[in-house]
Amino acid sequence: MAIAEKSYKRRVPIGDRIFDWFNYAFMICLMIVTVYPFVNMLAVSLNDASDSVKGGIYFWPRELSFDSYKYVFDQGTIVHATFISVMRTVLGTLISTFCSAMIAYAISRPDFVLRKFVTLAFVLTMYFNGGLIPNFLLVRELGLMNSFWVYIIPGIIGVFNIIVIRSFIEGLPDGLMESARIDGAGEFTTFMRIVLPLTLPVLATTSLFTAVYQWNSWFDVFLYNSSNVELSTLQYELMKMLQNSNASGSSIDPAGGFANGSAAANYVTPTSIRATMTIVASLPIIMVYPFLQRYFVKGLTLGGVKG
Amino acid sequence: MRNKKWLGSAVLATAFAVAITGCSGNNSGGGNNAPAPANEGSANAGNQNAAGGEAEKPAPVTFTYFNATANKDIETNKTMIGKKLEEQTGVNFKQEFLVGDLQTKIGTMIASNEYPDVIQPDAGIDKILDAGAFIPLNDLIDKYGPNIKRVYEPYFNLMKADDGNIYFLPFSPLVGEFKPSPTIDQGAFWIQNRVLKEAGYPQVKTLDQFVKLIEDYTVKHASEDLIGMTTLTHDWRFFATTNPPNHLAGYPNDGGVQVDVNTMEAKVYGDNDGTKRWLKTLNDLNAKGLLDKSSFVDNYDQYLAKLTSGKVLGLFDYGWQVQQAFNTVNKAGNDDLMYFPLPIVFDENTKDQYLDPPSFVNNRGIGITVSAKDPERIIQFFDNLLTDENQKLTRWGIQGETYEVDANGRLYRTPEQIEKLKDNDYSREVGISYFAYYWPMYGGGSTFPDGNAVDPGRQPEVAQASFTDAEKERLAKYNAKTYADLFAAPDDRPWYPAWSIALEQDTPAQIFTVKQTDLQKKYFAKIVLAAPDKFESVWNDYVTEYRKTPVDEYEKTMTEEIKKKVAKIQGTN
Amino acid sequence: MRLFMKRLISQRALVFMTVPFLIWLAIFKYLPLWGWTIAFQNYKPAKGFGDQKWVGLKQFRFMFEDDRFLLVLRNTLAMSLINFVLGFVTAIILALLLNELRNAIFKRFVQTISYLPHFISWVVAATIIQTALSADGGIINIILMNLGLINEPILWLGEGKYFWGIMGASEVWKNIGWNTIIYLAAMTTIDPAQYEAAEMDGASRLQRIWHITLPGLRPVIIVLVIMNLGQILETGFEPQYLLGNGLNVDYSENLEIFILKYGMNLGNYSLSVAAGIFKTVISIILLFSANAIAKRFGQDRLF
Repeated sequence: MAIAEKSYKRRVPIGDRIFDWFNYAFMICLMIVTVYPFVNMLAVSLNDASDSVKGGIYFWPRELSFDSYKYVFDQGTIVHATFISVMRTVLGTLISTFCSAMIAYAISRPDFVLRKFVTLAFVLTMYFNGGLIPNFLLVRELGLMNSFWVYIIPGIIGVFNIIVIRSFIEGLPDGLMESARIDGAGEFTTFMRIVLPLTLPVLATTSLFTAVYQWNSWFDVFLYNSSNVELSTLQYELMKMLQNSNASGSSIDPAGGFANGSAAANYVTPTSIRATMTIVASLPIIMVYPFLQRYFVKGLTLGGVKG
Repeated sequence: MRNKKWLGSAVLATAFAVAITGCSGNNSGGGNNAPAPANEGSANAGNQNAAGGEAEKPAPVTFTYFNATANKDIETNKTMIGKKLEEQTGVNFKQEFLVGDLQTKIGTMIASNEYPDVIQPDAGIDKILDAGAFIPLNDLIDKYGPNIKRVYEPYFNLMKADDGNIYFLPFSPLVGEFKPSPTIDQGAFWIQNRVLKEAGYPQVKTLDQFVKLIEDYTVKHASEDLIGMTTLTHDWRFFATTNPPNHLAGYPNDGGVQVDVNTMEAKVYGDNDGTKRWLKTLNDLNAKGLLDKSSFVDNYDQYLAKLTSGKVLGLFDYGWQVQQAFNTVNKAGNDDLMYFPLPIVFDENTKDQYLDPPSFVNNRGIGITVSAKDPERIIQFFDNLLTDENQKLTRWGIQGETYEVDANGRLYRTPEQIEKLKDNDYSREVGISYFAYYWPMYGGGSTFPDGNAVDPGRQPEVAQASFTDAEKERLAKYNAKTYADLFAAPDDRPWYPAWSIALEQDTPAQIFTVKQTDLQKKYFAKIVLAAPDKFESVWNDYVTEYRKTPVDEYEKTMTEEIKKKVAKIQGTN
Repeated sequence: MRLFMKRLISQRALVFMTVPFLIWLAIFKYLPLWGWTIAFQNYKPAKGFGDQKWVGLKQFRFMFEDDRFLLVLRNTLAMSLINFVLGFVTAIILALLLNELRNAIFKRFVQTISYLPHFISWVVAATIIQTALSADGGIINIILMNLGLINEPILWLGEGKYFWGIMGASEVWKNIGWNTIIYLAAMTTIDPAQYEAAEMDGASRLQRIWHITLPGLRPVIIVLVIMNLGQILETGFEPQYLLGNGLNVDYSENLEIFILKYGMNLGNYSLSVAAGIFKTVISIILLFSANAIAKRFGQDRLF
């Protein structure tokens, strides 16, 4: 990075400067548009639920209230569910990234005899699906129901990730792996010592994809672990709360009528819960990207080789 | 999921309306006619209750109960009501509620052939029955269910499957005299109080009068940015726009058909003169700029926001759908901007039928599954629920806590109790959220022998306790004590509700229901927003398309099924 | 054959790296394909496999013969192609522009902010879009009115002809930052020495982008294009469903919604599976065609 950035700074032609200004202006507009939904969700989640029905909440709450957060955090199960979510995200991402990278390495080798067969066998699976019931029965037969491993094993490889990693490996200078092999390194050593470190930027990318997928998943909890609170995840617990608020949001009040003045103490609506849920569920995972960005540094790959 | 359409109106509302009751205090163990719980259970015994010299306690046991509606998972003995019931019977339930899609959940249960002990499958009941997941209850009821017999016997014919067995217990058997709801949680035309006030509280009976009132008001207040009428069209809630012609013609919310009381002939009204008249009215309003033109684009949130803005003068909708918005308006405290329900009809001499007649919904209920460990204990628990005492416990709650009794023996709730029960967590703690519905029960509108309503929502005293003075005055102007007094009493319709008739999968009749909604969504918007001179031609296009659907098969199926249902009912009486 | 075995043995390390996963693949991906038989049945989950009623191609016929099928297919393809093209173009442009930012902190900041909407569910996103497009004080109408481009608010979602555009813009808004990530990663593999050399030769900014950065991204772009082309019918249904209404239904209803209505909602699993098979067939055809074309032009390809 250092080299590249410095070299730009020597002299800046006028055209470049105009380009820069345009570029900054564009980026600022882009940020305003893309940060808005979050600001809006934050405002709605912090606004009194019954007041939010009126609409018109944009950038900040009109009647500040923490009821929605209280509602979400009072449920007791959140802490443990978050723990499970973190576990499945960390474990799932590490295992999946490692396995995907290994397969990608194997099928990137032009001389590998099974190369074409293996690649096709993997690629095709991106375009079909046996359907819900067969998958469910499979998981059941394998004894993965009510188990943490159902979060990891069925999704252990991401074909999309394999292909992306492969195209990066193919982009590495040919000589690198050759020289390693000449030095007597086996395939596995080459993979571990040379390929893994050199593909860090793309591994960071696929890890992010996998982590987000793992973090956001709730359908597998619903299918396989719904009666086991011990294995419930944050997303699933939030999902439950949302559905509860749907049910209570439209319920008739205890008098059986509407004519009564004030709303209940911890009155929540689906809208307010959904906003709170968006904030609570996505803040942790959003933090992953800035962290991974340090692997996105230009020249790191080749610099590593030279050095 | 999407065919909540009619369910929407009735089942949900009933459920919600009812899901608000109390829990009890004065209940001294077991109803008088409850059978002594047999102690043979396969349950883990050995937990000798040290409570003392009373009769021997049944061994405690915990069953699993899957309920296909949304609530917070719970063990029932963690609630006040559940605790009392456990003391009576030794039975506790671990309740799991639905998260995600119902059909998927039921599908996977069936595919794996493993069930919880008890299921309330809601709209998934046909699949559960097809799968043979419920055990027949006939013998169990004979042996252990004197109360079940007392409550459900009049409906046994309706409850029997084709093989003559009873597989589940519905939630709507009427016990005692029928009482309609004193407040309008169902359909009504709503008008803002200020419109009525300015017009001097006139009698409003017909749609033309209703529209005229709104028109006059907007003309007088031309400078205020007002919306004459709006209508809800979003997603499955679209029925709020398709159902009015049915109500306007003097029919209750019976699903997609109007049923002749004498011939039992079912006719769709989707393309009849009533619907045309309703759309013409909306079209006129639109031409005059009195209809909210965003009606056909807005989502539910935007619709609610409009209602709370105070700008909308009138609308048709079901009470339970606008509740959130009305709550918010109420909270703001401006009585002028609140809405008043009216039973509007097309013609002066039509009798309105907005209030639901007593109905027996025979395709919803709770059943015991083939996986159940100890069906005897479960059926005994069910039977024990069906005593007057326990119905009071599960519906009203605990005396002094969630209800009071006055000198005349009338049950009521204080405004404070009403307020407190609005807190969902409190109502869960008491157990009302869990026990007021989705168990064997006295149906909505039932009454106790002493004349009190089983369901607090039907007790006029409870409704009145929540009225403001302004409301009471306004009601008095119309010679009414409760909102229900404004509406005609429901006629007896033995088949009601027709929407509970299950259409067989993959039949033209079932396909029709999808096609009809599609067509109406597309054309209603076009028809209403058309220039008045184009109205006829767009309407005719719609009718042509409508008649291309398997509508005849649908009507035929519905008529047959309704006749079958009536025959079953009358067979017993 | 002998030769093949010999090479196989000499490459046993690579075999060990892949074969266990081939077994996994067979179990978790290929084995459940027995479920496709459901498409040729009137499937009832309650019955065993042997007791199902076989109905041949009935489900397919129902789908193809419905008078809305072609319309629905048109909408699916139109929205998909718009998303496909817009998705690639905007993400690549943003990646290039980000790459040109000199302030590293600012760059990271923009990256993180721009990918935020990806984490908002469509339900929430749809609400925001509907509010922005509302005829009663929606921001889009207000801006256009102030600019004098329109005289009165437009019911954006009430006109079918705007729908595809709205969908395209919404998808870009929601996913541009997310889609950019992979290109930013790919850019790290470009040798900085190339830029230095270009600068020595007096290449302008645009020339550098055109001759160095874009070619550097080419392998990734081609692989992604081929993979995504195969998924052209996998559109999802949420945004279309949430933003659809009676006035724009002829443009908003796509294949997934159609299948949802007549399949899952009516409890007809068989129809859903039949639709899945139809989509797979189209996908595989597209996938192989795209791969063959890439091969013909001597470009990197998928397999």
